[in-house]
Amino acid sequence: MSVSVLRNSSHSEPRLLLAGVLALLVHLGFIALMIFGLNWKDHPPEGMVVDIWTELPQPIQEPVKTSPPPPPPQQQPKPAQEPVKPKPPEPEPPKPEPPKPVAEKVAVTPPVKKPDIALKQKPEPIKEDKPDLQEQKKKEQEKIKEQERLKELEKQKELEKQKELEKQKELEKQKELEKQKELQRQKERELAAQRQREQEVKAQREAEAQRAAQQAAARNQVTNEISKYKAMILAKIKSRIVMPPDLPGNPVAEFNVTLLPGGDILDVRLSKSSGHATFDSAVERAIFLSKPLPLPPDPALFNEFRNLNITVHYRE
Amino acid sequence: MNTTVTQDMSLLYLVSSASLPVQLVMLILVLVSLLSWWFIFRKWFVIRHEIKKTDEFEDIFWRGADLNALYQRATSSRYASGSMERIFAAGFGEFNKHPFGSDIEAVMESTRRAMRATYQREMDHLESHLSFLATVGSVSPYIGLLGTVWGIMNSFRSLSSVTQATIAHVAPGIAEALIATAMGLFAAIPAVVAYNRYASDTDQLATRFESFMEELSNVLQRRAAE
Repeated sequence: MSVSVLRNSSHSEPRLLLAGVLALLVHLGFIALMIFGLNWKDHPPEGMVVDIWTELPQPIQEPVKTSPPPPPPQQQPKPAQEPVKPKPPEPEPPKPEPPKPVAEKVAVTPPVKKPDIALKQKPEPIKEDKPDLQEQKKKEQEKIKEQERLKELEKQKELEKQKELEKQKELEKQKELEKQKELQRQKERELAAQRQREQEVKAQREAEAQRAAQQAAARNQVTNEISKYKAMILAKIKSRIVMPPDLPGNPVAEFNVTLLPGGDILDVRLSKSSGHATFDSAVERAIFLSKPLPLPPDPALFNEFRNLNITVHYRE
Repeated sequence: MNTTVTQDMSLLYLVSSASLPVQLVMLILVLVSLLSWWFIFRKWFVIRHEIKKTDEFEDIFWRGADLNALYQRATSSRYASGSMERIFAAGFGEFNKHPFGSDIEAVMESTRRAMRATYQREMDHLESHLSFLATVGSVSPYIGLLGTVWGIMNSFRSLSSVTQATIAHVAPGIAEALIATAMGLFAAIPAVVAYNRYASDTDQLATRFESFMEELSNVLQRRAAE
């Protein structure tokens, strides 16, 4: 009996609860170390792809925005016109002055030379014919002749003056013509500038038209690409369909397929049943079987494929 | 898109988002680790207490104390007694049960049998749960590894459906899977260390008990011969 008592007593264990508490404490410490001690990465690098594709349309618009800068050239010619206009008045004042002295010299010199020649030539024959009375008569006649000559000279002077005036008028006319020519040139320049401007505007319009055409072409290409890949997707799905035999009529099943980038299928929903469960399920299976659906390599076009509507006819 | 890209990578999120088998493995490992630490502390206290009691009793015994007084002390205060005291009490009690003048060889044989029985029981008690620590130390890394392999399998399987594979697709799965290995190692390392330590301690105690039994039987034999 004493042995059995001793055996029972031997199983008394000290501080059982304390051991459990200590074990819990050790684990709490370890968990705290794991949570707070290690620097778990809270902010992985942000996805850059999304930002790039949402901003893609803007670079196409930017060239259109940058085209306005060409208009400044339109403004530049205008200041160029203004300096041209003030210039013509400047040459006008100096030009009238120089012609005047030229006209005076022409008017003064000829009358002095002509009387000398006339006196020397005519008096010599008169002295040889009649020396005395005749000389007086001749002198009187000469005086008369001289007076006549003087008158003629005066007439000639007047004529010359008139001629000079006429010349001056002609010069003035020439000047006016020159002015007119200059004005015409200015007008021509202005016209040329206007033509240049018009040409620039036309060129801009043409460039814009070209850009629009290019954009339209790009859009056409995009739509072509989209339609091409949609046709490819439909063809791939159709190739996977195991058609249930002998269905009446031409049932049509419509599916709404949600795609992931890379051609993976996220979700397939039957949007319009064909009325034949076998056909619906066959098409659904075919959609899942053709799992990596062909998608255009340009990720920007993926938005067109995110939600696809697929309609399958039983008979083509 | 953004919600999937910016994942919370904290420990709690990784554990809660792990697949069910991995979570099960983690739960098992947490329970095993808790149990093993509980046993580690229990055995620590028991073995400390046993070594202290043995030291005390040996000190008193070899100082030449009266055997009857020692026996009465051991049986009266048995709840605070140590293993060596109980071995002494079993042997001395069996020795005293025989009437004076009986065959010495038979008396000593029965005394030695009684002491050996108590010794076996005490050693069984001291070594209890040490096998559990040994099992935890050897098996829990494998359990953790199983969870990790399962988690990595899942993360790579989900990678197969993605055409453009990035490390971001696999990283969370591998991280959550590796937590299982960490937990397994956390359970195993202290268990192995404690097992080795306690095994050597109990071996030392066992040799002390055995030598004490031999010496006590010598003392009792001399006492019977007188």
